[in-house]
Amino acid sequence: MSDVILPQRSSLGARLAKGWARMKREHIIFVLCTLGPVLALFGLIRIYPIAETIWLSFYDYHITRRRNPFVGLANYAYLLEDGPFHEALINTIVFSTFAVVATLVLALACAVLLRSIEKAAPTYELLFYIPVVTPWVPASVIWKWIFDPTYGALNYALSFFGIPRLGWLQDPVLILFALVVVSVWKMVGYFVVIFGVGLRAIPEELLEASELDGVTPWQKLTKIILPLLRPIILFSVVTCTIINVNVFAPVYVLTASAQGAPAYDLKVLVGEIYSNGFVYYHMGYAGAQCVVLLLFVMSLLFVQFLAFREKN
Amino acid sequence: MFRERSVRIAAWISCTVLALFTVVPVLWIVATSFKTAAEINAWPPTFLPHAPTWANFDEILTHTSFPRYILNTLIVSTASTISIMITSSIAGFVFAKYKFPFRGAIFMLLLASATIPLEAYMIPVYIMVFKVKMLDTFVAMIFPLTIMTFGVFFMRQVIMGIPDELLEAARVDGASEMWIYLRIILSLSKNGLMAIGVFAFTQAWAQFMWPLVVVSTGDMYTTELGLAVYQRAFYTEYGPIAAGAVISIVPMLIVFVALRRHIMEGIATTGMKG
Repeated sequence: MSDVILPQRSSLGARLAKGWARMKREHIIFVLCTLGPVLALFGLIRIYPIAETIWLSFYDYHITRRRNPFVGLANYAYLLEDGPFHEALINTIVFSTFAVVATLVLALACAVLLRSIEKAAPTYELLFYIPVVTPWVPASVIWKWIFDPTYGALNYALSFFGIPRLGWLQDPVLILFALVVVSVWKMVGYFVVIFGVGLRAIPEELLEASELDGVTPWQKLTKIILPLLRPIILFSVVTCTIINVNVFAPVYVLTASAQGAPAYDLKVLVGEIYSNGFVYYHMGYAGAQCVVLLLFVMSLLFVQFLAFREKN
Repeated sequence: MFRERSVRIAAWISCTVLALFTVVPVLWIVATSFKTAAEINAWPPTFLPHAPTWANFDEILTHTSFPRYILNTLIVSTASTISIMITSSIAGFVFAKYKFPFRGAIFMLLLASATIPLEAYMIPVYIMVFKVKMLDTFVAMIFPLTIMTFGVFFMRQVIMGIPDELLEAARVDGASEMWIYLRIILSLSKNGLMAIGVFAFTQAWAQFMWPLVVVSTGDMYTTELGLAVYQRAFYTEYGPIAAGAVISIVPMLIVFVALRRHIMEGIATTGMKG
């Protein structure tokens, strides 16, 4: 696995030998016997499948066939003309953008505000965290009933403001916002806690000193607190985006079903991967869609890595 | 951070509103699970049940395969938790305390793949499981959940805090490396290992995509899968569905409230990584 990283094979062997020579024999045996199996497992369920996904995307792969023809970029060419895929991609991007912005703005605002009522902060963080430990499926079940057009609590609450009943899960636009609400509800507590960690690390003396200099609270926030929080904000944007781009369980629960309530059949990226790969068994094509997802996630991580290195 | 009176008032109001937003839906489903079918379909909706009943729990626990799903989920989550606790602590120990060639490079590779979601590479994992004819088994369900990169990272962090002198002293007394791991490292990193155990358990318990893909017979369903499929098929029977959702949420809440200090410490480490 290590030769993936180092380009020069000749120096690799030499460095390996030198490295091992510095260690005691019992230590070498212990490291090989303990880390070896863990790394093997890691290779088998992480590294190999990621590489294999890319390989698959160049084949017309069917799981029960003996021979799977190489099709080059045909799967990728089909991505360009596949209508449902485009729809899924647009929905995923729109949903993720709204969900990430809403979650993080809300979480940041509350995390900052919580620092001025520090004594109550642990209790609030506990309450905010309840949806985070709620698995996605029951979370979506809860919200499906709240959004229900006939019996739902949301339409009931809106009726006080004279708003007529809306089909939250039946309308192709409203369902996206319903999904955003579920996602914000589920994840906001996690990011309140994450931002809380960053905010607590800001030395109080720094803020007190700035007060003596006559800085207004708004300047304190925008000129001192937010710049110091930049690494954590970046981490949160990346994490929150990855979570939302992968949205699937709430879509599965909230959208249309054969026998259940009629709802709009919203398409998202992972939903397309699921139906192409595991309903129609077009695994090569689903592989190409996975590569799109992989590229997106990897580019986010790369941006984070670059920013992190810049900081050091 | 801010001592202005107006900011403090704004903090109380907005945090209370957010807390209501996060807590009320969960309370609402708990209340609903104790309502009769007539009350659930009543308009206007009620919040607290007028005549609390166990009927919904009775329905889902005796007339469906839900108990079987719970058992399956417990088996998968427990096996995954044990595996992750073992692999994380031993790999964390080796990365923290031994200098071996390419340690940094291997660790970076491990970390880089940490955030790549299972959804992006599940097809080859599925093909692997298919080829060894293991689809629809516990082995298949547990397989991708046997290691956790964050666990390795976290345990390494915890074990780096254990002084080297302690290990050296044990070695002078003739202790083997395995003995050091079992007797010194494990007992001194107990709290961290607990946190990882909780993470692993909740992660496996909440898993939905992977069971959906590898499980095909009803007998192997997990609670999440059973709940999702059941609510699609019997949407109108909201009472039993609400009871099922409560059954799926409550263990997570108990674990979280009981061990929240460990969990919050763990999250703090994730944040520090960024």
